[in-house]
Amino acid sequence: MISRSLDDHLPSSSTAPHPLQRNLAPHLHPFQKPREYARAMTAVKIDRMFAKPFVDALGGHQDGVYCLGKDSRRVGIVAGGGGDGEVIVHSLTLRRPLLKIPHAHKGLVGGICWSSEQHDGRRSMITAGKLDGNIKLWRSSAFTPGQKSSFRGSEFASGSGNQEILDSTGAIGENGLNFDEDDAGEYDDGEGEDGEEGGGLNIDSKARDELGEKLEPKMVWTNKNGFNGIDHHRTDGVFATASNTVQIWDETRSAPLSNLQFGSSMETVNKVRFNQSETSVLASVGNDRTMCLYDIRTGKAERRIVMQFVSNAISWCPTLPTTMLLASEDHNLYTFDIRNLNSPSQIYKGHVGGVMGCDWSPTGEEFVSGSYDRTVRLWNRETGKSRDVYHTKRMQRVFDVTYTPTADFVLSASDDGNVRIWKSNASQKLGPVSTKERQAIEHRQKLIERYSTEKGVKSIKDRRHVPQSIHNATKLKRDMIESRKVKEDRRRDHSRAGREKPKAERKKAVIVEQK
Amino acid sequence: MDALIASAGPLPPKKNYKGKSTSNYIKKSGPTSHQTIPRADGSKIDPSLQSILGSTRVPTSFHQSNLASGSGSAGAIKSDVDISRVKDKKLRSKLTRQDLTNKQAQVERNEVNEWLHKAVSGSKGGIEVEEEEGERTWRVKQKEIEESVGQASRKKKFDLKFEGMGSYKVDYTRNGRHLAIASSSGHVATFDWQAGKLHSEIQLKESVRDIKFLHSEDFYAVAQKRYVFIYDQNGVELHKLKQHIDPTYMEFLPYHYLLTTVGHAGYLKYHDTSTGVMLTQIPTHLGSPHSMAQNPHSAIIHLGHANGTMTLWSPNMTTPHVKLLAHRGPVNGIAVDPSEGSAGRYVATSGMDGMVKLWDGRMWGKELRSWHVRNQITNLAYSGMGMLSVGGKSGVTIYRDLQDGNTSHTPTPYLTLPLPSLTSSSVKFCPFEDLLCVGHEKGISSLLVPGSGEPNFDSNEADLFETYSRKRERDVRGLLDKIRPELITLDTDFLGKINESRGGETFEERNSRSYRQLGRLERLRANGQADEPVQSLESEGEEDDQGEEGRKNGSKEEKVKRKMKGKGGSTSRYLRKKQKKNIVDNSLLAMRAKVAAQRKADDTKRKIASGEIVKETGALARFG
Repeated sequence: MISRSLDDHLPSSSTAPHPLQRNLAPHLHPFQKPREYARAMTAVKIDRMFAKPFVDALGGHQDGVYCLGKDSRRVGIVAGGGGDGEVIVHSLTLRRPLLKIPHAHKGLVGGICWSSEQHDGRRSMITAGKLDGNIKLWRSSAFTPGQKSSFRGSEFASGSGNQEILDSTGAIGENGLNFDEDDAGEYDDGEGEDGEEGGGLNIDSKARDELGEKLEPKMVWTNKNGFNGIDHHRTDGVFATASNTVQIWDETRSAPLSNLQFGSSMETVNKVRFNQSETSVLASVGNDRTMCLYDIRTGKAERRIVMQFVSNAISWCPTLPTTMLLASEDHNLYTFDIRNLNSPSQIYKGHVGGVMGCDWSPTGEEFVSGSYDRTVRLWNRETGKSRDVYHTKRMQRVFDVTYTPTADFVLSASDDGNVRIWKSNASQKLGPVSTKERQAIEHRQKLIERYSTEKGVKSIKDRRHVPQSIHNATKLKRDMIESRKVKEDRRRDHSRAGREKPKAERKKAVIVEQK
Repeated sequence: MDALIASAGPLPPKKNYKGKSTSNYIKKSGPTSHQTIPRADGSKIDPSLQSILGSTRVPTSFHQSNLASGSGSAGAIKSDVDISRVKDKKLRSKLTRQDLTNKQAQVERNEVNEWLHKAVSGSKGGIEVEEEEGERTWRVKQKEIEESVGQASRKKKFDLKFEGMGSYKVDYTRNGRHLAIASSSGHVATFDWQAGKLHSEIQLKESVRDIKFLHSEDFYAVAQKRYVFIYDQNGVELHKLKQHIDPTYMEFLPYHYLLTTVGHAGYLKYHDTSTGVMLTQIPTHLGSPHSMAQNPHSAIIHLGHANGTMTLWSPNMTTPHVKLLAHRGPVNGIAVDPSEGSAGRYVATSGMDGMVKLWDGRMWGKELRSWHVRNQITNLAYSGMGMLSVGGKSGVTIYRDLQDGNTSHTPTPYLTLPLPSLTSSSVKFCPFEDLLCVGHEKGISSLLVPGSGEPNFDSNEADLFETYSRKRERDVRGLLDKIRPELITLDTDFLGKINESRGGETFEERNSRSYRQLGRLERLRANGQADEPVQSLESEGEEDDQGEEGRKNGSKEEKVKRKMKGKGGSTSRYLRKKQKKNIVDNSLLAMRAKVAAQRKADDTKRKIASGEIVKETGALARFG
């Protein structure tokens, strides 16, 4: 006979938890799958309910923002280049401009990058003008607020102490804001800082604007042609620019170190990017629908591919050295393994306008793209459909996007003159998360993943409401492609067998590979 | 440039590459940029390379085959052979990991069942008698059981006498703590029978046909003369369900929050009790049913009809899933076996023709077993351990192990519970207790049936010692996990399976699609790459002896090799080489010892197989 003692089944004290008896035999747990499915449905609904990706818009630009400059060594800072030649350095943590340089260039700013070193405790920013053909190097301690000890030389050249300084200033909670009033003078050792109220968070906007007005570039290089893009070497004081050729510059020299071009092609180069792992390799995309690889050690263009459509942007995967991403004008993105340039390793479809910018997440598993169709899309490297799409009513055409170095946020620069901060994971909770909560979140994610092939879960998970215009454009595009394919099918049906073979979509993208 | 390509490692070989395989990949031992740790044998290990292993595995000494427990003779847990054919490496490793985890969990659960959940006496618990000396379990009387069990168990046997109230219906909550009784003349009561605490007692003064607890003891539904009413724990009438007219039988599906009723008109009605909305009503077209039961594992409703048919219903179909001619007279009793061996597979029916039949839900064609019972049967019930009680005139008979043994014979009853001059109107086993509650004309009797209840409950499903806070938690969680009624199907495992899109209604439509429009599976099939198993019928329950034998034969045929045994093995080659030199060193001795140990182990295994030695089993065997 079954006889149970109460002592085994009641809590030992009033505060003790209720004792649990488990029996995992399946006959005591009926409907295991349907119940788990019900939980997965709840989880995916919660996930969509909490999906509020928009964090903030950083204003201050008088014209549209056409390029972003991410300082990959510091998380809280991004520079935006406007259409009127204004460059603004934004602090993401304070969500306001740290420094405004109103007349950095005449006309459009073509590109912004940050140097790999710092001098006198000041980070250097390099901007390139699209119309005036100038490259300017700016150096100010306002770029590195809160830095207290002065420091000279390359951060990679000597010792670990330097790294420490960088780490402390690169932290998200920037602890202060110190303007060097006399820009030409020596950097003083944080004199007035201790007395400052609010730990430097109350920005004197007037002083800031005055400083921006007065700030003079430390170095200016001029060129006949305007610059479309600029990128800095990862460790050395070398940067590359894209104009009618790819030029390599040294920060300390006035003339370019070398001019790189493939053969005798005279195409306009749109963007240029250094590889982050094999640091002397760089890639460029050009107006002749080309993508070209260079090595600055040999000083030669190594190989080139010609594609169906022109590419607008390029990005190297930070974890897979041979993988690169192209943002193409044909609404698609392509990843290439550069060991095999015959065909892209994946095509990413979803945008309905030309893709203007792309950037990898620091993990190399995901990337973000911004498009002329006024949306930002997030992608997994392995899937050809976008994971998420971000849009707002007021966001105009997106010209540049970037991931922050912490991979938590995505920044987009658009025509409407704002830099927008988005969460990289739309339903992620910002702020501290308790262990219990984290476990619940992880459990929910696992459930969604497990049942993501199920129709109910899948439709909630994948459905995104997009603006009417994009919705219609998507539909139209789908119809066009479908009818094109049907036509192709029909043509094949009525031609001699084997005459017209279907060509894989991936093979179509690349026209020719040149060596 | 080349450095970049080199840093990425070798290119994966092309698919139709026919050259020499690149297996002779030599690891360079030159200077690396990483810090290395020198080992005793002169080699160096790069800790950053070794820090993450391809797979984390249980040490071999913990493998099942190396534990000396009785159950672990099956060998190391290996993943399914089919998985190794998956080409995608990542997918393959993921599948392997899942498969291994499942198998490991299965093994561990079996061990827990074997060592923790097993009954102390005998294999299944229950009454044991000396069969040789002519003793029979069914001759054991309630009084004898009462005398031989402890004080606590003795208290559980009780009778509630209500004379002249009509015959009683009974119902337990899911955890078996609370009991609801309803007499045909309108006396309704609910109480915590263990504490002896009465929750509510009402006199409805009209005929009552059935009573059912809803998801917890807080609410119960009563099928009254005209409508179904819902009362709360204090006996306050909460709802009158007007849509349910003339109800005769009710069932409550606890995971779906569906109250199912059927009335004289023969309409099966599903009512969602969490939202209060009538889900659907289905005409059975078979008149007033004579019995009703639910399958607790699939939420399928079984109805027994006057013409001898039993029909299986779900809210998603207007026609029965199964329609079965079970008896020659009306079907007046249906019970579904919820026990471990069956899990809703076996169904027992009884008819006015005096037969009890046992059906296998996987194959309805012919009954598994049928026998004649002399007293007029009125109803059936299954216990948590799979005992079948057959209630009828002047007593209840209990059977066990009906699926096993010689199914052509009439089974010997396990226990008979005589109720002189009474007819049982309702029998219910108490969940997780060795109790049977019988409702009859003179009240109810709670009778002791040793070995009938599932002894090991799970607090997360049905907590016998539920506190207020845990009940509150369960109420909310239960509602959150409410299963949608669309998921009620005969096949409970269909979720997550591939839905084969057939692409169109007609043959024309399906066949006029171009290759591009085909689904993935269809494309693979067209290419001849579908890689589907010939028979996808694979279930654990069917692993009987014959199947095992067949599999063994199959593996034997596969194993035929033209190699001479014991010649080409690396160990024997090594020993041969060493022996020639006539030098005795430590490694040789170790190897010899290993070979000897292996031989000995093989020898014992063979002897155990042939029956020369009896293998030590039991709890202590695992310690050697």
